[in-house]
Amino acid sequence: MAQTWDAIIIGGGHNGLVTAAYLGRAGKRVLVLERRDRVGGAAVTEEIFPGFKFSVFSYVVSLLRPEIIRDLDLPSHGLELLPLESTLTPLPNGDYFAAWADHDKTRRELYRHSPRDAEAYDDFGQLMHHMAMAVRPILAMSPPDPTSLSPRDLLSLAKLGRHFQTLGADKFHALFKLMTMSSADFLDEWFECEPLKATKSASGIIGTFLGPRSPGTAYVLLHHYMGEIDGAFRSWGFAKGGTGAVSEAIAGAARRFGATIRTGAAVAQVIVKNGRAVGVALENGEEIRAATVVSGLDPNLTFRRLVEPKELPADLLEAIGRFKFRGSSGKVNLALSELPNFTCMPGNGPHLRGAISISPSVDYIERGYDDAKYGEFSRQPYMDIILPSMIDPGMAPPGKHVMSIFVQYAPYNLNGGWTDQRREAFGDAVINTLAEYAPNIKSAILHRQVITPKDIEDITGLTEGNIFQGELALNQLFFLRPLPAWAGYKTPIRGYYQCGAGTHPGGGIMGASGRLAAMAILRDG
Amino acid sequence: MAASYDVIVIGSGLNELVAAGLLAKAGRRVLVLESRAALGGAMVTEELAPGFRVDACAHDAGWLSPRIVQALELERHGLALLESPVTSFTPAADGAPLVLWRDQARTVDSIRRRSPADAAKWPEFAGRMGRLAGFLEHIYSAPPPRPVSTRPADLLALLGVGLRLRGLGRKEMVELLRVLPMPVVDLLDEWFADDALKATLGASGISHLFQGPRSAGTAFLMLHHQVGRPAGCFRARTTARGGVGGVVEALAAAARRWGAEIRTGAEASRILVRDGRASGVALQSGEEIAARAVASGVDPRRTFLDLVDPAESDPEFLRAVQHIKSRGVWAKVNLALDGLPEFTSLPGDGPHLRGVISISPTLDYLERAYDAAKHGGVSTRPYLEAVIPSLADPGLAPAGKHVMSVAVQFVPYRLKDGPWTDARREALGDSVVNLLAEHAPNLKGLIRHRQVFTPVDLEARYGLPQGQLYQGELTLDQALFMRPVPGWAHSATPIAGLYLCGSGSHPGGGIAGGAGALAARAILKGG
Repeated sequence: MAQTWDAIIIGGGHNGLVTAAYLGRAGKRVLVLERRDRVGGAAVTEEIFPGFKFSVFSYVVSLLRPEIIRDLDLPSHGLELLPLESTLTPLPNGDYFAAWADHDKTRRELYRHSPRDAEAYDDFGQLMHHMAMAVRPILAMSPPDPTSLSPRDLLSLAKLGRHFQTLGADKFHALFKLMTMSSADFLDEWFECEPLKATKSASGIIGTFLGPRSPGTAYVLLHHYMGEIDGAFRSWGFAKGGTGAVSEAIAGAARRFGATIRTGAAVAQVIVKNGRAVGVALENGEEIRAATVVSGLDPNLTFRRLVEPKELPADLLEAIGRFKFRGSSGKVNLALSELPNFTCMPGNGPHLRGAISISPSVDYIERGYDDAKYGEFSRQPYMDIILPSMIDPGMAPPGKHVMSIFVQYAPYNLNGGWTDQRREAFGDAVINTLAEYAPNIKSAILHRQVITPKDIEDITGLTEGNIFQGELALNQLFFLRPLPAWAGYKTPIRGYYQCGAGTHPGGGIMGASGRLAAMAILRDG
Repeated sequence: MAASYDVIVIGSGLNELVAAGLLAKAGRRVLVLESRAALGGAMVTEELAPGFRVDACAHDAGWLSPRIVQALELERHGLALLESPVTSFTPAADGAPLVLWRDQARTVDSIRRRSPADAAKWPEFAGRMGRLAGFLEHIYSAPPPRPVSTRPADLLALLGVGLRLRGLGRKEMVELLRVLPMPVVDLLDEWFADDALKATLGASGISHLFQGPRSAGTAFLMLHHQVGRPAGCFRARTTARGGVGGVVEALAAAARRWGAEIRTGAEASRILVRDGRASGVALQSGEEIAARAVASGVDPRRTFLDLVDPAESDPEFLRAVQHIKSRGVWAKVNLALDGLPEFTSLPGDGPHLRGVISISPTLDYLERAYDAAKHGGVSTRPYLEAVIPSLADPGLAPAGKHVMSVAVQFVPYRLKDGPWTDARREALGDSVVNLLAEHAPNLKGLIRHRQVFTPVDLEARYGLPQGQLYQGELTLDQALFMRPVPGWAHSATPIAGLYLCGSGSHPGGGIAGGAGALAARAILKGG
């Protein structure tokens, strides 16, 4: 048997790496085990076509907690975030809606569509800012168990109550509405401009199997607003070198704090002795001992794959079986010989350095959801497109480009199952839809990579291809994430912890789960 | 100004009459104003054809708390509640029909014929949902807690709710918190396999809601409709001899007995406000009646945008009122029948015809009906809830004849292809009858008279805004302390002396007289 460790982290995704770095920083001897040949999980950059680099899965960064960037000094490890400064929503009638980094320019653009909305725009921005500030402390806290009478939980609950009281009734009610409403209904209270509502509500559906008219999506909208602190429309950033660079930077920080990272090391099982985790067994038979084992994998894998069922209460396993994953999004990555030429805004321009959102109306997205509800991919999907090579020229050979298309909806449980043929049909639907707005796209494609939720699962391990390790639905948040009583990063097995996005506060390259898990582990000694 | 009252109650629905009765009983001089000739608002039993009487609009009074029955001595005033042994009958094209009974053993028997596994789980499910609904019942019997208030009385109330929640035990406490925001589809999928069972239960999670069963919060609405019902008694309907109108008559008799005055044909056109205080009501006729307090059973939006001069209200409050989601989703088809329909899947005139006949084969069926409405159309295969009240109360139809009342969901108030026309109304009636005839082929031949009310008709005839029965959909963001608008969930309004007592207020539609009782309590407390 090899040397022993204070902690083994299963999975080198960004949360696992964050946990490793924080534990390392506290002086623990940490080993990270990653199944693939590179760290990052779903936050990886790969050269899937010679000379063209892709953020294969996750493609934008905005939620990464500032305290993590600071604590781990990530810029010194190569993290450089480049802003995505605009969002262009092309419309079927040849017009467009655009939001720019320049606030006044956005208001003028909005005024063109709806003077009323231009008036409401600032107030809305202010409300969302307040809401983001109201939620921020909650995202940074370890969820209490509301049924527990332990002083720690009671204190934590009291703190939460106090927090809500300081918010005051108005803000609390607004927050309650955001938590329970659909993004479409919520936005209807403010705006009338369809592409504006659709483009905003689109961030409420990302990673969920819900439509913009489904209650609960307003919260996901807010979740994606967390990155917005300066009143910009949607200040997403792009990591220089792709999202893999974020993972590499965190890995670099972890290594500097003494952590060891092994790739190509697939964990088969957590070794449990007398109800206590004592190490892991790799798929190659190797066993490694550690005082603490931390799973960065999703709740399904953490509880149902990595440990023997006999080690866990039956009702816990049953509850995990009920936890909803249902991946709903796919990805199309393109290597392009030239830039796409959008009919609504021809030629090269600043709009190609921002996001391009195919979301002409709320009904458009809702119809895409209708397809998926009954087991089909959207014939006319919602897409969030960026051209990383426009922001970071190193991503593609000179004069050439890479395009990242996030697509929703593509249900994991496709009628008849995903096949090569169905994958290509899905890719065709995406390209055909895009070609309606940028007709030259088809001839510009040098290489196309289509990723279905099934592919996400097969490659990264994420159950059902859910990019958040479990839906961000109301009944799967905070102290319910992943399970009541086990939302505090612990598990019923002593010494076995969870640190993935399947725990509070959830996904989106935040790193918050990883950080809170590290703190819980350190608290337990 | 005419004679002055302590309280004027606008409207004569269940909530308004409960408020009037309780106030009168407490010694207040009460005047009830009803614009129509008949009392009841949406709770009316009217003549459909000579000799046939039907619950023209709503055919379920909602759960009527025994406390209200007792306080107003409703039985002494003629209330005779009719409880059918069967609560629902779901005709099935695929095998045994599903019949839910008040008697749990018979329910389990019926489910077993479709799914033995589901039958085995039923008692646990019934118990669990019963306890969770019991918690809601507790909350519904009082003004909702104010979660962020620091006033001692509010903190005490909050503590009471917290202790009650803890009283459910650790497991069910978190289960309640987990279940309330769930889609009813997910909740039922956790328990059952049989489509008809899931859809029949899930249907109560979408009543009067412009959302399908896959929408979050529909599990809450299903529990809401279980409040007050015995554990396992799903899809129960409250009605009385004389139809839902019988409940209204008993309430009116009780209110009068305690001294309340009730005027019909008296349409309130304005709520008078003097120095920021409600001072009375002006009628359409020009008559003005003074009162120390006004309780409006009219929906919050019309109360504050039409009846009260908007200049009297704070713009933020008005904004919140304008944002109340209150979309019409249903239509009514009323039939006078020459005999009883014969259902292929369960022939005969057995007790199954006395429950609600639920056309709810699968949850996806309900969801697709919603999809159509969401995009501004009407599904040709809507969700139907049909009842034959003349079986339990033969007085509603000539001997051997029957009336059938069919609630149809989802039917949008606004159609994408243009306004509701006579042709569209009749097409809706045809598709409803055709759908029922798929299960009961003899139905078409029995129809002697047919009445179809679209949401627009329901608005015009019964004063339901957009045809919405609940004066505000029962979604999580419009429940408890958020109902009717955030921060004003205790019946009182920003205008002193003006109270809301309709189903737009906590606890909302489906709880007969719940909002009225709380308004009465608030008015008595306010002096």
